[in-house]
Amino acid sequence: MSKIHLLSPRLANQIAAGEVVERPANIVKELVENALDAGARRIEVDAEQGGVKLLRVRDDGCGIEQDDLALALSRHATSKITTLDDLEAVMTMGFRGEALASISSVSRLTLTSRFEQAEQAWQVTAEGRDMQTSVAPAAHPQGTTVEVRDLFFNTPARRKFLRTEKTEFGHLEEHLKKLALSRYDVAFTLRHNNRVIHQLRVADRGIEQERRVATLLSPDFIDHAIHVDTEAAGLQLKGWVALPTYSRSQTDMQYFYVNGRAVRDKLVVHAIRQAYRDVLYNGRHPAFVLYLELDPKLVDVNVHPTKHEVRFRDGRLVHDFLFRTLHQVLGNIRPQDQLAPASSSSLTAGVDSASAVGETRGFASGAVGNSEAANGLRLQTQAEPVRGIQAGEFRGQGGLPWQSSEPKPTPAAVAEQMNSYANLIRPLDSDTVPAAMAERPVLAGTAGFASPNDSVTSGNMATAVQTNTPVAFAGVAPAMPAGSADMPPLGFAIAQLHGIYILAENRQGLVLVDMHAAHERITYERLKAAVDRESVASQPLLVPQSMSVSEAEADAAEQYAAEFRALGVELARVGPESLLVRQIPVLLQQAPVTNLITDMLGDLIEHGSSDRILAHRNELLATMACHGSVRANRRLSVAEMNALLRDMEATERSGQCNHGRPTWTQLSMAELDKLFLRGR
Amino acid sequence: MKFVISREALLRPLQLVAGVVEKRQTLPVLSNVLLQVRGQQLSLTGTDLEVELIGRVTLDEVGIEGEITVPGKKLMDICRSLPDGAQLEIALEDQRVNVRSGRSRFTLSTLPATEFPNVDSVGEEKTFAMSQQVLRRAIDRTSFAMAQQDVRYYLNGMLFEVGQDSLRTVATDGHRLATCRVDISGPDEARQIILPRKGVLELAKLLTDADVSVTLAFSANHLRAHTENFSFTSKLVDGKFPDYTRVIPKNGTNVLIANRQELRQVFARTAILSNEKYRGVRLLLSTDILQVFANNPEQEEAEESVGVHYNGASLEMGFNVSYLQDVMSVIATENVKMTLSDANSSALLEEPEGGDSVYVVMPMRL
Repeated sequence: MSKIHLLSPRLANQIAAGEVVERPANIVKELVENALDAGARRIEVDAEQGGVKLLRVRDDGCGIEQDDLALALSRHATSKITTLDDLEAVMTMGFRGEALASISSVSRLTLTSRFEQAEQAWQVTAEGRDMQTSVAPAAHPQGTTVEVRDLFFNTPARRKFLRTEKTEFGHLEEHLKKLALSRYDVAFTLRHNNRVIHQLRVADRGIEQERRVATLLSPDFIDHAIHVDTEAAGLQLKGWVALPTYSRSQTDMQYFYVNGRAVRDKLVVHAIRQAYRDVLYNGRHPAFVLYLELDPKLVDVNVHPTKHEVRFRDGRLVHDFLFRTLHQVLGNIRPQDQLAPASSSSLTAGVDSASAVGETRGFASGAVGNSEAANGLRLQTQAEPVRGIQAGEFRGQGGLPWQSSEPKPTPAAVAEQMNSYANLIRPLDSDTVPAAMAERPVLAGTAGFASPNDSVTSGNMATAVQTNTPVAFAGVAPAMPAGSADMPPLGFAIAQLHGIYILAENRQGLVLVDMHAAHERITYERLKAAVDRESVASQPLLVPQSMSVSEAEADAAEQYAAEFRALGVELARVGPESLLVRQIPVLLQQAPVTNLITDMLGDLIEHGSSDRILAHRNELLATMACHGSVRANRRLSVAEMNALLRDMEATERSGQCNHGRPTWTQLSMAELDKLFLRGR
Repeated sequence: MKFVISREALLRPLQLVAGVVEKRQTLPVLSNVLLQVRGQQLSLTGTDLEVELIGRVTLDEVGIEGEITVPGKKLMDICRSLPDGAQLEIALEDQRVNVRSGRSRFTLSTLPATEFPNVDSVGEEKTFAMSQQVLRRAIDRTSFAMAQQDVRYYLNGMLFEVGQDSLRTVATDGHRLATCRVDISGPDEARQIILPRKGVLELAKLLTDADVSVTLAFSANHLRAHTENFSFTSKLVDGKFPDYTRVIPKNGTNVLIANRQELRQVFARTAILSNEKYRGVRLLLSTDILQVFANNPEQEEAEESVGVHYNGASLEMGFNVSYLQDVMSVIATENVKMTLSDANSSALLEEPEGGDSVYVVMPMRL
């Protein structure tokens, strides 16, 4: 054995770098976070060769004073916290004071900065075994530029692990996306090999924020997303969740932020999956961009050097909040919410003033006005802080992009071209639009979110009165305002197609409904409601069933005895590693109870809550619903079909069947016209 | 191989043997039945590797000896759909079996008899004889309580406890239990075996109500039953059956005696409006009155009241009405006795004069 000695500062930093700096993308994260912490409003990232050759992050933040520059590159030096109390309630992205030292130990790093009050900028580099710093005068506007060249030039082992330029840049871009989605008040520019990849302007207003999301993720996402904005018990959840029909085969479109910090947390993922379970097609993953705000004291981010994981002080509360909020949001999607009224450019006039209100509300706040004309992507017509759903996303129902079709010809133009057609279409859209707008159901989320009843009383959206009265979680969205259009959202049935589909006519055009899928969902929701109304019936076992578990699981069984009892399960511990099941819920008599209980114990240990029993029960009910619903080839009369359509409008989650398949889709007049080249 | 047989002589053994054969098979030969002709005797064998049943028929005239397997279900269907009194001539020609009867002719595919699996029995056997009628009663009175596809595999069967002077059958699915004890002159050594569910049902089918004898033989892992016309072999379930003596309540103080038919009808009517998934009914007992309530998720309600003999404490209990109905149908006496202790303890049902069977039903917490 050799003698024990202190490591050189550079080596110590390189070891620390091992934790944080794995590839160029990590550097971008660290540097951009620093820039954000410095209060930057504009951040520019330049990369060359995937960020390996050069990575430059330039911001217009507060800058660093000349005296501090040398210290900035040394380890455990930070301006972000000073005491333990600061750490416990940390609001900045970083706090460890390691990033710059780590990065400079594995690359050639130059830091140039001008402090806000300083007259000139200074540049600092660190070199050699002891990381000696040298400070020199430089020219720079206010803010800081960090230039990282030749990453891993001195650590060949790490360099070998780098992938191709394209891959590395892909990671880098992904990291920047995450950051850009967390701060809409900051403009981002990303250049690769001197080519602009992303140029994101400050997005204060809702519509601009949505545009940023659309640019960074995909326009489809925002078209199919529901806006969320809820607050309860000191927790606030904002953002967008995609409709169940817009699901992904991978978990690649899941962005979750806790106090502005992107995290990947098991608890969060579990809660969201649980909320989607009833509606998501087997093996698919939901897409979401969500922001959770809570008291920084209630969350510990100092869990992992990269801060990907967080620990909630009250994990169960957070879990419940997320689950309940999203479950409600998804449950309240109604066909009428997904149908936007026919397009109307006259609307945009009033909208800007409406959205001006939103601007003052800052990032991601509701009050989204609309300006369809501006982005040409889609139109929204709501002017209320919280809405259950985006206006234009019913496209998702069948992936039939009726709105992406060209703008409708004006009635006049139509009249010129085709008189008869104009007559036909006018009552359907142009003439009725102002009235339809006024009467359109308010797109409210659950009452629990806020504004239970915003009524837009005239065609001028700008006069919409905004109320935002948070109330407790309960109840559901208000019903459609009285006197709404005599045509219901899903219209009236015309005929049945091959005993499988219902064709219905509504204001927008043709509605196609998969009769079995729709009826299955209605039956299922009814069964669930009926079972929920009753108390839990449980069956004590004549022959108790013994099961072997781990000691931790047995402990959990004792700890959560009350929870189990509430669900109709009674467990007794008969040994350190064995349990006796004395009583089970009657509905699960035929179920493999021991497996279920093992799974539940796993959940309880991991997440502090479990809904396996509920899930299993729902599975049973889903099967019952499937058998109890009309099957294909059953002839329905028009009255029966209309009744089904009305039921769909009233039922939660009627957009998807129990297995996550869509139940209906819309073919708009515009789309139908296109098929026949009308109005060209 | 060739033989002539009347439709009626072939049909009953064939139906029983084909009952053992599983409908869907991965091993093709298992969907076949084995036909063997030895002199004047025809034997038919069907198996699913767990249960094997051999039926024997004596032919009117000596056939040509031989053996072959043919699709059991198809042969049975042919046989069944032929007119009464038809004579069948079954002959093996060129690896095919020709069935001729009157003007009908059928050709069936075959598989060689050597491929047909034998349920092998090893170990010494304990043999004793008993009346078919008695064995059938012991099975019929309890088989309804057997579990179906329970993960506790040993509940998917029936316990046979053989002693020197008695045979006891026990079946339970974990929620209710049925047991029946009959007198026999058994072997010297007491023995407990678990017969799988399918074996129990097939065995019950071939037992007749007449007072003729059946010979039972136990080996380490098989049960054989021989009657004049059949040989039945079943593998045993290797497991530990729950101790039924601990399950039967002994401290019941509240005794109810009711007319069985009346009670049965009350249960049948209330069951209509009980929750179709778990079929709960509430029983409210007070002096000489039993009230039965049921309601379902649609908020429909049933209420019945029936006069009984009862002078115990007032009690309110929930039950799965199907369990009670099962017991009511299997008990044969005019009255039924129900012994209860409290709302959370199991109920004991039996014939009032202490018959051979006892039934235990666990209440349900509604």
